[in-house]
Amino acid sequence: MKKIEAIIQPFKLDEVKEALAGIGVDGMTISEVRGHGRQKGHKEVYRGREYTVDLLPKLKIEVVVSDARCDELVKTLTAAARTGKIGDGKIFVYDVAEAIRIRNDDRGEAAL
Amino acid sequence: MEKPPCKDPIRALAERTALVDGLVERSAGDKLWPAFPAGLTLLAVGGYGRRHLFPYSDVDLLLLVESCRVAQDASGPISGFLQTLWDSGLRIGHSVRTPEECAEIHDQNIELNVSLLDQRYLAGDRALYARFAARLPRFLHAQRDPLMRNLTRLTRERHQKYQNTYYHLEPNIKDTPGGLRDYQLVRWLAHIRDVEAPPIEPAFLFLARLRCYLHARSGRDNNALTFDAQEQAAEYFAAPGAAQWMRDYFLHARDLYRAAVRELELSEAQNSSLFAQFKDWRTRLSNADFSVARERVHLRAPHALEADPELALRLFQFVARHGIRPSTEAEQRIAAAMPQLEEWFGAARPVWPAIKEILSLPYAAEAVRSMHDSGVLRAIFPEMAQIECLVIRDFYHRYTVDEHTLVTLQVLAGLRGSREPAVKRYTDLLSEMEDPALLLCALLFHDVGKGSANGAHAEASVRAAEPALERIGVPRPERDLVSFLIRRHLEMSAVMNSRDLQDPATARDMAGRVETVERLKALTLMTYADISAVNPSAMTPWRAEVLWQLYLATYNELTRELATDRIPSVASEAPEKRAFLAGLPMRYARTHTAEQIDAHLLLDGLFRQRGVAVALEKVEAAWRLTLVTGDRPFLFASVAGTLSSFGMNILKAEAFSNSQGTVLDTFTFADPTRTLELNPTEIDRLRVTVERVVLGRVDVRELLRNRPKSAPPSRNSQVPSTVSFNSEASDSATLIEIVAQDRPGLLYDLAAAISAEECNIEVVLIDTEAHKAIDVFYVTAGGGKLEDAQLETLGDALRRACGG
Repeated sequence: MKKIEAIIQPFKLDEVKEALAGIGVDGMTISEVRGHGRQKGHKEVYRGREYTVDLLPKLKIEVVVSDARCDELVKTLTAAARTGKIGDGKIFVYDVAEAIRIRNDDRGEAAL
Repeated sequence: MEKPPCKDPIRALAERTALVDGLVERSAGDKLWPAFPAGLTLLAVGGYGRRHLFPYSDVDLLLLVESCRVAQDASGPISGFLQTLWDSGLRIGHSVRTPEECAEIHDQNIELNVSLLDQRYLAGDRALYARFAARLPRFLHAQRDPLMRNLTRLTRERHQKYQNTYYHLEPNIKDTPGGLRDYQLVRWLAHIRDVEAPPIEPAFLFLARLRCYLHARSGRDNNALTFDAQEQAAEYFAAPGAAQWMRDYFLHARDLYRAAVRELELSEAQNSSLFAQFKDWRTRLSNADFSVARERVHLRAPHALEADPELALRLFQFVARHGIRPSTEAEQRIAAAMPQLEEWFGAARPVWPAIKEILSLPYAAEAVRSMHDSGVLRAIFPEMAQIECLVIRDFYHRYTVDEHTLVTLQVLAGLRGSREPAVKRYTDLLSEMEDPALLLCALLFHDVGKGSANGAHAEASVRAAEPALERIGVPRPERDLVSFLIRRHLEMSAVMNSRDLQDPATARDMAGRVETVERLKALTLMTYADISAVNPSAMTPWRAEVLWQLYLATYNELTRELATDRIPSVASEAPEKRAFLAGLPMRYARTHTAEQIDAHLLLDGLFRQRGVAVALEKVEAAWRLTLVTGDRPFLFASVAGTLSSFGMNILKAEAFSNSQGTVLDTFTFADPTRTLELNPTEIDRLRVTVERVVLGRVDVRELLRNRPKSAPPSRNSQVPSTVSFNSEASDSATLIEIVAQDRPGLLYDLAAAISAEECNIEVVLIDTEAHKAIDVFYVTAGGGKLEDAQLETLGDALRRACGG
């Protein structure tokens, strides 16, 4: 099993969710996060004062899938979240040792 | 197979009680009475005592014993007796007490004390019961204060546990505020105080039926109204849908909760203490209409309400000014006068100034809530009835639509005191609003359309608000702003969630929708309040940041755009109008109404005859001077200086010029010493002086020389001056932003410095935040942007001007 963690632009959420639903992935965890990568924030001027936006609002999506589905999911996610500009975000893939459904103790891929 | 809902829950509960009575008596006959023919009495207490025994509720018994010795001797037979009842499937709660023990008041005993209020003789020693029953009224009378104190304390704790609101997505129909416990509380407190309980039976019947259903549904004492249970209950009670059925639930819970809170307050007031007397200092706020006692507003002449319905508005103005709620008696008077109030407010009447005042005062949110609760808001705006207790049924919307509306106002009020950096920006925005009352008014109506609309409720809300606002006499321009805000109230949050905020096109688009900075500020605050009032955790710091970035990008776009877009010539207009409008910035058309443009056109005609035209009018609390003339150096500075020489404080000024070189300047200024208001001849003198200055017949420097210098501000309130240039922001002009300590004549000095460098002032935006002046000049030289060398000398000159 793999865990896919994607940091994306907030306005891309609906597109990403739709695209994932399109390949049969419905379950995911979404959190509101702030941070920066190479985009490093920027400066805004508001009424003569400089206002630094160093941590940009992003969304983090986490999905766990079977190894077999990982490539397809990453491909779909990348395509849906891409604008081609700086600040589109990143995707990280991790190995998952175990998954357990708390309700009935299902294990492994059955718990996904 | 489910049984149909019972028509008469009270009878069903009584029947079940009778059934259990039979079981208890039979078991006592077998196990108790053979051993104890005297000295022991069985009492039913609590819900069982009052014959409200729900299917799976506990059966509470009190075993009254003559003495402790009897209790010891009887322990064997008593356990046998209880065991039989357990075995027959009843959940028994029991206590064994002597009559003396029953009369002891302490914390551990409070439940027993309260349960005695509903005691009922079941079986056993009648003489013992008679002795106990004879003492009970005396006990209640002697102990009413501690009893009431304990009851109110326990109830407050229970309400606190549920955040003092009856709005819960999945309420517990017994314990949450507005649940069955509150029904009992109201009855008990009325009983202890020996007064009649308020009419709350319909709510009880609703909840009783529902509780029977919930018990039957889960086969245990389960009072949680979960989402699933809501769906099934709506179906079971044949309601048109779960949302509509939940609306009924909330209406009943609201009635019970309000009755409970009222009884709590009355009881707490009766439990008077020294502290309560200290709280009476507010009595000094009393006036001819109202008196203040015990933190409540009382009507001095309650009967006056029927003849003088405006008294109700004055009452809520008082509430909005001081944050003290109306007394229960005042609320009852209002309820009694409701037919007259409805009739009076039903006719078109210019009550807007009174309502606007309520909305402008510090405790506006409290006043509106109190107007809503007393029904006065609905009397003024019957449109509000459609959202009363209207449920939006999902896991996101915590409140009914009317409550959500009230919470938005509270959110804005809560902004006022905030110091948290992420929130403080919005606090600042609110303090910059010219007319916060209009924002509150828009919030009041923003979701009214949810009651009727399928889908797009914003338009439906506008349709409901327009005639309502016209009826109460809201002037056209204010109505337009309110309608605009209602119509667009969803757009910023939609853009926030679905558009790239770094893309300049997003800011351009948003700027095109709001058109002015004033509207942008109002809409931003409206969005902030609207999201925050969906549920207590909806406005995360993350969302607040995203909204702020959208505001920022749009604000910068709007102030950048000013100098570039010009009104093109429109063939369909009259030739004079066409000539006047041609070349004025687009912003001019957006910020002025058709009537104002026509008025400017008249001034333009006058200018052609006389070389200058000046109009002066009072606008709300400030004055506005409009000037039309031919452009010439030092023009803007001269007028600013003239106003300063009259002691006027300039709040805002804008300069527009068209392609023929005609200049239209507007100055909004305050008259701190009320010179113009108190001496109407000064109005003419000011107008004539401005004309003479413009025509070059009077030197503005002479005027200013005669003015006394004001004292410099103290060192620690001094605002450091900054002068910054921006040549990128506009296509055709250089933008100069100056932040400086405000003082009389500042604008004159700055404008004169710019004119002295032979620069042309195209657009000026002036804003004053307390002692800080923020002036933005769009300046050209020789028809284009300023050269670097010019920037340097001008920068020095402006910095000198800031210093005064």
